[in-house]
Amino acid sequence: MTPSAYTPAPRRRFNVGERVRVKVANPPGHRRTPSYIRGKEGAIERVCGCFPNPEELAYGFDGEPKRVLYRVRFKQQDVWSGYDALAEDFVELEIYEHWLDPA
Amino acid sequence: MSERNPADIGGEQDGPIDTVDHGLKFWEKQANALRNTLTSRKVVRLDELRRAAEDLGLRYYRLGYFERTTEALRNLLLEKGMLTRAELERKMAEVRRRYDP
Repeated sequence: MTPSAYTPAPRRRFNVGERVRVKVANPPGHRRTPSYIRGKEGAIERVCGCFPNPEELAYGFDGEPKRVLYRVRFKQQDVWSGYDALAEDFVELEIYEHWLDPA
Repeated sequence: MSERNPADIGGEQDGPIDTVDHGLKFWEKQANALRNTLTSRKVVRLDELRRAAEDLGLRYYRLGYFERTTEALRNLLLEKGMLTRAELERKMAEVRRRYDP
């Protein structure tokens, strides 16, 4: 698969198709990764690019260094316990690199 | 575990969704205009406004959308020292007198 990026993200950790797991952490403050997806495993669907870190912008800082943003695809079955609809149902979230580990 | 922020409710049960378009009240249009002006001029950032709204804690749920975003903006401008409580109170008293002499 060809990696897509809206803005260049040359020094990124992950590429399209790679499996990742969202970090399990509950730090105080403005966090852009919803609780329900923490600890879940999915695959990189696209590389969105490199953006100022909103978790820093939220407190008036400049958001540097920029962070790579990915769209990550999760199976609904892997996200919700007891999900009994189609196995091909997905949910996609945009998640910053510092919230992701290799699965 | 730290307290979950009030906007982080994905997956939780909730009641029915009001799908009626209620339109915008005059003050809500003014609130949008002020917020858009301050974000487009980068006086405040959208991320700061979201954070200030989350900082309202349980009050976040008690307020309607425009009340919440306006209160967040007020708190942010006070935090940044763009205006003082005294200035704000003076202006609010002035405006109130126009309606309630």
